[in-house]
Amino acid sequence: MICSTISGLPGVNAFKGTAPGFGLRREAKRHAALVGADEVFKSGVAAALCHRSPKSRAFLARERARIARAMLADCRFCAHDCGVNRLVGEAGLCHAGAETRIFMAQAEVSDELELIPTFAIALSGCDLRCDFCITGGPSWNPRAGEPVRVEILAGQARAALADGARTIMILGGEPTIHLPAALEIVAALPDDAKLVWKTNAHGSAQARALLDGMFDVWLADFKFGNDACAQRLAKVPDYVRVVRENLLWANEHSELMVRHLLMPGHVECCWQPVAEWLAAELPGVKVNLRSGFWPAWHSARHSDLRRTVANSESEQAGRIARNCGLNLVE
Amino acid sequence: MKPDANDKPAAGKHPLTSELLLLPDGRILVHNLTPAFAGLLKELNPDDEQIRLRSLPSTEHPT
Repeated sequence: MICSTISGLPGVNAFKGTAPGFGLRREAKRHAALVGADEVFKSGVAAALCHRSPKSRAFLARERARIARAMLADCRFCAHDCGVNRLVGEAGLCHAGAETRIFMAQAEVSDELELIPTFAIALSGCDLRCDFCITGGPSWNPRAGEPVRVEILAGQARAALADGARTIMILGGEPTIHLPAALEIVAALPDDAKLVWKTNAHGSAQARALLDGMFDVWLADFKFGNDACAQRLAKVPDYVRVVRENLLWANEHSELMVRHLLMPGHVECCWQPVAEWLAAELPGVKVNLRSGFWPAWHSARHSDLRRTVANSESEQAGRIARNCGLNLVE
Repeated sequence: MKPDANDKPAAGKHPLTSELLLLPDGRILVHNLTPAFAGLLKELNPDDEQIRLRSLPSTEHPT
């Protein structure tokens, strides 16, 4: 059995009724002005935001990374919408500053079969606070690990590809809070490499606009089927709406795979509504139902999370998936 | 043995890392499974289909 990596939006208004690029451009300009980063806009930002242009992915990623770094002055990459200036040391709920660190970079085979072997790059820090997080230490601490060295990472990724890796995966923690570094990594990778964005699907419209066209696959968690469980176990409000919004977007803009880590005692409150929503709104989308819950990190704070998933729960979850007609993948 | 989470290995400086949880009923949960460790687990239990699929040479991985 393989255990998964357990891994809002006032900003969304900036994009309503406009093409993502235009909304992003306006937003980026506002943020860049805050930090005197006008040069960002002297290098053809419109081209940078149009992923359908003939420019290479690496070129676009490089341009977007510059915009994203300027946006740290008023960070709204995730749905918490903190609006803090990370460039001067202010910290939002994720506690991340301007620096990005990694706690893991290695070839792995524990993800979906069609994605492995993958070269996984795990960035420290996360905007959620899942008490059961299997990488809780570095995921809750953006200062864990060591600083990202883009060229070294890119060299390792290229070596992994040459050695048979099928994909390169950027994950966390949560990579959305580190968009500048994530885009810098993309800019250093071959244009034809298959890239996977492993996310908690709690990003903002700003983040999505920056990510548009950058990744071939969005591998997105849908952890909780209701806001009460999300609030209690991950301290995140308005969870279901935000995740649904991200999944619908991702399905329109890339290949989408949805993961659900079955939690003990949460088949009916979490998995069932997730399964029913996926069946209704994203029919045919690839779904990986994972049953290898591991009572890690602060799971013991919750009586329901002090054990693994019972076989009867796995079987019940499988029946729900079949009844919903989900396209399950391993 | 699992290292302290804040000291996890990063790019290029440390050995690769996989984590195991051995359950009383004999099941083994694996996190961050590397190809080398998948090969080892396959040796321990050749009948485990999940591990078999993940221990194939990279050119033979199913699509």
